[in-house]
Amino acid sequence: MVTKSSSPCYRPCEHLVDYKSKHSTRGFRALQRCIVVLPPGRPSVRTLSCDEDPVPRCASCAKSHGRLYACLICSTISCYSSSSSHARSHALELPGHELAIDLDRAELFCCICNDQVYDADFDWVVVCAHASSLAKCTSFSNGRTAPPLNVYSRKRNRGAEYKPWEPSSKDPLVLERGAAPLGLRGLTNMGSTCFMNSVLQALLHTPPLRSYFLGHCHNKAACQSKVCLGCDMDDMFAAAFSGDRTPYSPAQFLYRRYLFLFSFLNSWWQHAANLAGYEQQDAHDFFISAVEGIHANSQQPELRKGNDAECRCIVHRVFSGLLRSDVTCTACGFTSTKNDPCVDISLDLESTALEKQIYASSSTLLGCLDRFTRPERLGSNERFFCESCQSRQEAVKQMSVRKLPVVLCFHVKRFEHSAKNYRKVDTYVQFPLSLNMACYLSSSIARLRHGNRLIFVEGKGELGGDNDSGSTSPSSEFELFAVVSHSGKLDGGHYVAYLRLGGEWYKCDDAWITRVGESVVRATQAYMLYYVQRSLSDESSTTIPERFNQHQTLVLDEKIGYTSLLADAVQA
Amino acid sequence: MRASLHRPGEDLHKRDEPSLQEAINLKLVESGEKEKLKDLLRERLIECGWKDELKAQCRAFTRKRGRSNVTIDELVRAITPKGRALVPDDVKAELLQRIRTFLLSVQF
Repeated sequence: MVTKSSSPCYRPCEHLVDYKSKHSTRGFRALQRCIVVLPPGRPSVRTLSCDEDPVPRCASCAKSHGRLYACLICSTISCYSSSSSHARSHALELPGHELAIDLDRAELFCCICNDQVYDADFDWVVVCAHASSLAKCTSFSNGRTAPPLNVYSRKRNRGAEYKPWEPSSKDPLVLERGAAPLGLRGLTNMGSTCFMNSVLQALLHTPPLRSYFLGHCHNKAACQSKVCLGCDMDDMFAAAFSGDRTPYSPAQFLYRRYLFLFSFLNSWWQHAANLAGYEQQDAHDFFISAVEGIHANSQQPELRKGNDAECRCIVHRVFSGLLRSDVTCTACGFTSTKNDPCVDISLDLESTALEKQIYASSSTLLGCLDRFTRPERLGSNERFFCESCQSRQEAVKQMSVRKLPVVLCFHVKRFEHSAKNYRKVDTYVQFPLSLNMACYLSSSIARLRHGNRLIFVEGKGELGGDNDSGSTSPSSEFELFAVVSHSGKLDGGHYVAYLRLGGEWYKCDDAWITRVGESVVRATQAYMLYYVQRSLSDESSTTIPERFNQHQTLVLDEKIGYTSLLADAVQA
Repeated sequence: MRASLHRPGEDLHKRDEPSLQEAINLKLVESGEKEKLKDLLRERLIECGWKDELKAQCRAFTRKRGRSNVTIDELVRAITPKGRALVPDDVKAELLQRIRTFLLSVQF
């Protein structure tokens, strides 16, 4: 019990010494009953007598504000101020009454010396009173106590108490180039869960999603659902970017009740019951159901509309684009247009020998996109009802991209699950690191179709909104940031993810992360390709001011753009 | 302390009648509102870093004068103007708003 009075520098005033010699600790102990602890942990003196006036007042002038002191001998309450001190007059009138206690702070005060004085035994009494009052507070089962709540406290997500922050010696090292990239962490395989692990790695490094979850935009505290993929994503981002490099292990987190990887799987299973099971699942199916699950748990139901194109939940804001399909009657040329929202673009690989001659071989991504947007003659058994001819006619259908998403996900259709065929297509597909989607936009496709004629469009503004140049506008340029590839046979194959961070490529094979050369990535059998708009990419060479200007042309709303810019600025 | 009846011409009694400020203070204290406001103010001042700043100021003051040369009174006198000046405007506004709301609710 080392206290102030035992420290060598402190010397009690003569009055305190005098008091102690006469009364020892009797007076202090009598005070113990009167000391209550007010939030936030401040000991105070409350008189126990039930006066009609609950407010303590100076006996001489009835003042109730400012500093009030109670005499240790006769309990007279007096006010104190530097100009007029009734406490002082009290002490002068009555010798032996020099010591008093500050009512608001439970501190000893010598009225003659005009200063606070300190005594070990007194402090002990205060500590005891403090401890006994804490025992009266609500206590939790783990033995911790809660301080009484301030009724005016706003119900906000109270984090840690405010402390000014100074960078520690470790912080510059973390931000230094050459250090392992932030957020890179292995995911343990829990029994053929590589299909999930690889997609999760891609999602964890999708720049707008990263900004959203690391920016606490999904409020776990306010989340109503017990099973929420959004909360699990939030946990996963927190763990991935925590700086800890050890792989997630479900067993470990089972202990600490951070089951996010397990609980993510659990939530996803609950959500996609038909896909549940320990067998190898399809990574693309997982991606789709994860997007739907996060959408379903989106915290603002009013943003979730039936039309995914208008939905403002985070996954739709990031992944949702618009595909346009034009069906043209071969008889009269009337074209019927439909716009469908999509979260990814699935590309066929198979091509007939004839197609191979006409179009770029489908062994490149651009070739697949050419195939995807080429005019396709619908067979005679697929005739559509033409409104202008008022009869069924043969038609030509053409796909194009009406609106590009922020993050473009390509799905290469390698797996065939039809009744007659159950196989995997191993064809190698070459893909670029930088992709310009301008020529696949609806405006460009329509122009090609009509051979650069002035277009009398179906409804004004149908093609407006897309850039008329169709050339290198900022919003049609994309950078590759993640690749999910599949190796092996249809059953019993293996998924890995490749991530592009800080100019380097990293192979994420479940719990093992290794840096690999670009040639390795280029040679891999791509199954899913993730591209992000160039201005949001960490890898593009644009400087921050340029990126800031380009934000105006993006389809993101301001909030996510700003946090993304911050996140990118930190990474840069 | 009761408000005495106001007898015209009797200036002596004016001393017993509480001023507006005192009356408000009394109302605040009696209803327990003052305690709540004080707690709220303490919380806000901690959150915005005011308390830490003042602590630093006190330490600096004490160190400059020498620990044994400072009384609590001198410290309070020296620090109080700085403390008052450092309170952020939004904290002041919030407290004033709460007082106003309270007074309206008790139909003052």
